[in-house]
Amino acid sequence: MSVRKSVFALSSALMLSVSPVLAAGTVNVAIIGEPDTFDPMVSTKDVVSIVTQHFVETLYTFDESWAVVPLLAADMPEISDDGLTYKIPLREGVTFHDGSSMDSADAVASLQRWLEVSSRGKSVADKVAGVEASGPYEVTITMKEPYSPLLSLLSFSNSAAVVYPEEIIAPEIDTVVGTGPYKIEAHEPDRYTQLVRFDGYTQPTGATERNQVPDEIRLVPVPDGNTRAEGLLSGQYDYADGLSTETYDRLAASDVAEPVLLEPFGWPVFAVNHKKGIMTDLNIRKAVQAALPFDDMLFAGFGNDKFFKTDGALYPEGWTWHSDEGVELYNQNDPEKAAEYLKAADYDGSPLRILTSHQYEFHYQMAEVAKAGLEAAGLKVELDVVDWATLAQNRNNPDLWDIYITHSPFLPEPALISSLFSSAREGWDNPEKNKILDRFTSESDPEKRKAIFGELQKIVLEDVGFIKVGDFNALQGKAKGLTGVSPSPWPAFWNAQVSK
Amino acid sequence: MASVSQLHQPPSFRVVLMARRSTVVALVCFVLIVLACFLLPALDLTAIGGMSVRNRLTPPGADYFLGADAFGRDVLGRLLIAGQTSLQIGLGVAILSSSAGIVIGLIAGFFRRLDTPLSRLIDAMMAFPDILLALALVAIFGGTVGNVILALSIVYTPRVARIVRASTLVVRELPYVEAARALGSSTLTIMVTHVLRNILSPILVQATFIFAYAMLAEAGLTFLGVGVDPSTPTWGAMVNEGRQYIDTAFFLILFPGIAIALSVLSLQLVGDGLRDALDPKLNKET
Amino acid sequence: MANYLLRRVVGMFVVIILVLTITFVLVRLAPGDPAALMLGPDATPQEAADLRTRLGLDDPIIVQYAKFVGNALKGDLGESLFFNRPVTSILADRAEPTIFLALMSLFFALFIATPIGIYAAYKRGSLLDQSSVTSAMLAASIPSFLTGLVFQRVLATNFGWFPTAGYGGPDADLWVRLGHLILPSITLGITNSALILRFTRASMLDILGEDYVRTARAKGMPEARVILRHALKNAGIPIITVVGLTFALLVSGAVVTERVFNLPGMGNLVVNAVLRRDYPVIQGTLIVVASIYVLINLATDLLYFFIDKRVKY
Repeated sequence: MSVRKSVFALSSALMLSVSPVLAAGTVNVAIIGEPDTFDPMVSTKDVVSIVTQHFVETLYTFDESWAVVPLLAADMPEISDDGLTYKIPLREGVTFHDGSSMDSADAVASLQRWLEVSSRGKSVADKVAGVEASGPYEVTITMKEPYSPLLSLLSFSNSAAVVYPEEIIAPEIDTVVGTGPYKIEAHEPDRYTQLVRFDGYTQPTGATERNQVPDEIRLVPVPDGNTRAEGLLSGQYDYADGLSTETYDRLAASDVAEPVLLEPFGWPVFAVNHKKGIMTDLNIRKAVQAALPFDDMLFAGFGNDKFFKTDGALYPEGWTWHSDEGVELYNQNDPEKAAEYLKAADYDGSPLRILTSHQYEFHYQMAEVAKAGLEAAGLKVELDVVDWATLAQNRNNPDLWDIYITHSPFLPEPALISSLFSSAREGWDNPEKNKILDRFTSESDPEKRKAIFGELQKIVLEDVGFIKVGDFNALQGKAKGLTGVSPSPWPAFWNAQVSK
Repeated sequence: MASVSQLHQPPSFRVVLMARRSTVVALVCFVLIVLACFLLPALDLTAIGGMSVRNRLTPPGADYFLGADAFGRDVLGRLLIAGQTSLQIGLGVAILSSSAGIVIGLIAGFFRRLDTPLSRLIDAMMAFPDILLALALVAIFGGTVGNVILALSIVYTPRVARIVRASTLVVRELPYVEAARALGSSTLTIMVTHVLRNILSPILVQATFIFAYAMLAEAGLTFLGVGVDPSTPTWGAMVNEGRQYIDTAFFLILFPGIAIALSVLSLQLVGDGLRDALDPKLNKET
Repeated sequence: MANYLLRRVVGMFVVIILVLTITFVLVRLAPGDPAALMLGPDATPQEAADLRTRLGLDDPIIVQYAKFVGNALKGDLGESLFFNRPVTSILADRAEPTIFLALMSLFFALFIATPIGIYAAYKRGSLLDQSSVTSAMLAASIPSFLTGLVFQRVLATNFGWFPTAGYGGPDADLWVRLGHLILPSITLGITNSALILRFTRASMLDILGEDYVRTARAKGMPEARVILRHALKNAGIPIITVVGLTFALLVSGAVVTERVFNLPGMGNLVVNAVLRRDYPVIQGTLIVVASIYVLINLATDLLYFFIDKRVKY
């Protein structure tokens, strides 16, 4: 038909102009959504971390084995013996994108803002006595009590303690000015964030060099997972985050792209409402724990043993924090025992409300299977499947849910797991747990901390503080010719090389 | 009244309706779909809804005639259950929006005084993009079947009303309507016997479209992230859930996709047949 | 005529005020908290509450409404909660893909549907009539996201004829951007061409049965002339109605298509805004789209006036 012919002719004519558009050394990255802010202090979203780490930097960062290394700091801090004073030397000659140079005044103002506006900063603010400039290139943080996770908090790219020029510090920062290897050239919301090399960048001393290999990094928000996969497979993107495990075989078979499996990536978790509702009863919590069919839930969510592991430990084997304490309570798969707990709780048949959404399909899939398992044990279950925005609101209201489903990457420091704290929305306020947690955060000896974490894990399982479902692997994808990107929940592209 | 009974004169109606082979095929096809969805599950309740995760994504075969979904549930069983909901949504929206649209459109087209305010209201409602209005309404009310029907009916009513009004404007100026008015027929009589009769066929065509659109819109809403609560499966939801298995288990979108396409298509063909059968001018010709 | 025009313009303002009010109410009734969303998963409820206060989301609803209407009448649609930019400037950025997509797919639909519809009516009951109508309807009977997905998968990923998604990078010129719209336009056009085809055919059938057409034929006027002069002209009203409607449907049908192909248009913007609870953006988009609709409706009614002299105002 002539219409079709001419459409195709037009399109193939256009193809000539479509493919060579990419400038040499441009990396196109499909991310899962639009970062709603470029200020990583105020957001705990992973997509914000992925984007902003290229243009703003923290004093410290994690290396590939999750050890803390200096980034804007010149060296590791000098920590006093009582653990109360941190003297942090800053690198000299660091330039902001606006041309000004970084000194201790910028770092102090930024850290103070971090303590005021960021959720992780606020979580330690009451333990911080003061942040001062103790020299033009030295910052001193004074604590009221020892707090060993402090350096991890300062290193994390999520709710991040980044350094801004003192001049732009305000409760809300509209135009972010950083020190990173790339700077924002253009931002078209929902279309792209275009980052270009920052010429005044100086390399860190501790962290891996950020070699500014690509001329440009384009971060393209593509909310639909299928579209991210199609774009990657057609060569439109060089990297794609957050792919469904169902696309693994197709990526593996492709000539254009290949899978990047993050193994293990993180853990799906059933957050438990300790403030209100039937889950405040320990017997009900134990019943749920005993009844949940963890294998089936993981199988439904991830489809193939390649992508998950039935594991009750909060950190998988191979991690410093791995422990076997209490894991016998995980994956009991015992509806009869659950029924006994229900009896002990005088369960009256009121429904257990599981709040979830389709935003992450495996959340919903685990919820469906969990429902079947819990019902087999005699619980009445209501699935409340809402959109992500509603979930984000409803989970803040303890009247509306008993369990909500979320997931987290394995975090380098357990004190970053917010569910452990009684101030979190779950409100898990077990006094014994609080004591263990205080000991954990004030202890600085790594070996002792490891032992205390074992106790912490045990009480998580015994008191059912939250329910870890298992370990899962996340799938990202990259173009065949792409090198220089380390697998990470927050992949960075400053060393990315595209050979086309 | 004579003309109305003439309109429904059984022989000519049936003759015209059956004159087109496609109409007959479509009618049979649609009736079969409806019967399958509403009768089969009632006959065999045990095979449906069971979850067997280890059998997930089993291809169609001896164990599962149309395969098993991501939870190891029988696709055929779910297809039938889901069909009940999808058909209910389509029919509900078609009836609700056509009735409301006829009333509003006739009044607007016929009573000059009410035309302006009603037209403004129609305009204001139509100014909302349909999917988005439905999206907002379902987000507000919550994703139950009733709410989806209500939301989509609110969306489609002004569209019917506008077409009814436009046709009424033309028809009421036709010589024989003017003649009837001059002869002293009451407004209601004119509206029912002359105008309604004349615009019935475009409304029927439109109603079949709405039936179809409502089923498609429901699928679209699910795609956009709202829609009927997944504990009540619909064909649209099945297609949408199957999207991520497009490579590993294509049958998951194929079968519900066929179910939607077949129902929507046969409905429209039936609507076409109805249109020809109900059109008095065409009746005269046969 | 001038009187009629004046009435319609006044009516247009009434409609827009109605739209403003309905939008405002709708948007405020929706559950979901923009503050909680903006802060991310680990923020505490207290932080969300603080942010709500700062964004003015805790003002009494009537105060929010008064502010909103006052500003809207001044042409200020507020600031996006997420982008910290004026809604008007975001909308201006997003208009281009949506407008081009709508026009291209309307063109595509009309180009296919009108001639076939006329011919099918003329050869009513023929094999061509039945098969063209049936295949157009079949194409429109598949959920459009599925059509889009399959097109994307086959024509873009496998064959590489089209870009899979997006609207080009920072250096994409107009042709590249239009290239990104071809596949979405075909997807959207196919869905909508069935509607136009059916209506064209239906109204042609009506007209062909009219006495004056039969008279013209009896007088020996050539068939082509009968169809083009008498029939097509008189079938104009319903066709214009449906093209007007279709344009509206196209703008909103663009929502799903833009989503599948990740086009940064107004449809995608507003769905994102609904999911993000970005109230000012939802309101702003609806108001702007509403104004466009109202203008199209006005144009449609005026076209009735010129095409069909029987309509009196």
